[in-house]
Amino acid sequence: MKRLMCFALSLLLLTGCASAPAGQRAAAAELEADVSSTRHVEAMDTIMALSAYGSNREKALDAAEAEILRLDALLSTGKPDSEVSELNRTGTVTLSEDSKKLVNCAFSLHEETDGAFDVTVYPLMQLWGFPEKEYHLPTQEELADALARVGMDRLRLEGDTLSLDEGQEIDLGGIGKGYTSQRVMEVYRQAGVTSGLVSLGGNVQCLGTKPDGSLWRVGIQDPWKTEGEIAAVVEVEDQAVITSGGYERYFVDESTGETYCHILDPKTGWPVKSGLASVSIVSPDGMLADGLSTSLYILGLEGATQFWRDHSEQFQAIFIDNQGQIFVTEGLKDAVQADAGFTVIPQSEKSAG
Amino acid sequence: MNKRLRSDLLLLGGLAAVGLALFALLSLGRDDGVQVLVRVDGVVTQRFSLSEPRSYTIQTRDEGVNELRIDDGAVWLESANCPDCLCVKQGKIRYAGESIICLPHGVVVELSGQDELALDAVTQ
Ligand SMILES: [Zn+2]
Repeated sequence: MKRLMCFALSLLLLTGCASAPAGQRAAAAELEADVSSTRHVEAMDTIMALSAYGSNREKALDAAEAEILRLDALLSTGKPDSEVSELNRTGTVTLSEDSKKLVNCAFSLHEETDGAFDVTVYPLMQLWGFPEKEYHLPTQEELADALARVGMDRLRLEGDTLSLDEGQEIDLGGIGKGYTSQRVMEVYRQAGVTSGLVSLGGNVQCLGTKPDGSLWRVGIQDPWKTEGEIAAVVEVEDQAVITSGGYERYFVDESTGETYCHILDPKTGWPVKSGLASVSIVSPDGMLADGLSTSLYILGLEGATQFWRDHSEQFQAIFIDNQGQIFVTEGLKDAVQADAGFTVIPQSEKSAG
Repeated sequence: MNKRLRSDLLLLGGLAAVGLALFALLSLGRDDGVQVLVRVDGVVTQRFSLSEPRSYTIQTRDEGVNELRIDDGAVWLESANCPDCLCVKQGKIRYAGESIICLPHGVVVELSGQDELALDAVTQ
């Protein structure tokens, strides 16, 4: 019925438009308020789609593109002259402004998630072959050797200087895209844009609402379908929506049929089996959303629920478990639509019954 | 007209109205709006309906080729002769507002239309 009404309404609007006199009331800038430009940038091993509305959109997109390329050059583990590569090669680096923010965020996430978030898992990722996609099922000895080099508590931060312990390597990729989408929003604002969206290979962040005042509609990928189907839609304003799931990258051991996903538990060194298929975080802070999407996936539904109850002023979340059940934190209960329905996780444990 | 007949007629009329509304709803279903737009270097070169299965070869500058497929309410690039094939790896899209990009060939395949399921982005 809604569709019919929309149809009828749009007919009305169309005829309304056709008969309306060409007004002189709107200034040129206002006329362009609902005009958007889209730009695509290849960086951080993915394709990024940026769109911005209004008369300042081209200027904003130029600045955003430059900012993305700058951050990619700074944070990439694949570029030998990046700051992160220098740190991994020499064992010590003087942090730039951006890296300092990322490293500070990493330390606080590490502490708050009780070690689930850890930027030093890179040697483990390499052992399993995830960065190069040349997968390898490690032996217990190999795992023990790699685990001995993992742990953020062994990093030393003195002033602006970050030093690694013997054999350690870091990758800020777990919060890098979130930080980047956050920066794009700031760049948009500085350029005078009030409405825009960025999708960094599936990490989404939006500025304001759409020009007509309606909310941005962000689809949440169905973890079991590679056919582009979605499990839910969340409607948001001024938020990042960032998802992590084991389905993003994994390999299957041909001899046993066992599946190993790319999200590793920094404590055991093994791919995570937490009962969750995906975690989507909704937060105005893109960097936090990015870090939490992986950490809460590791914690599992119960741990993640507790974590949210303790930090619900900072973010909301959508969890999909391995049975396909969708759980939505209370703050999103009116913002989520899902064909299969969903269960609301209440703020207070008592009202859970 | 007796009361019984009148209420029967009312019921029939009501059923007919519901039937008509259902028919309209189905025929106006989500296929009505969703169009597949193929852009090469920013210019729309082709327009297809998402509801009609087909194969189409997109020709781009420098002898670039992207093979487009539409089937089962989705569109995707099946193969391409670009260096990294990121466009092929983007897989299938099916909701208005989504797009597939081949940067080396300057190709954008986008879904447009007034679909109430339209999305501004998908997080994955
Ligand atoms: Zn391509």
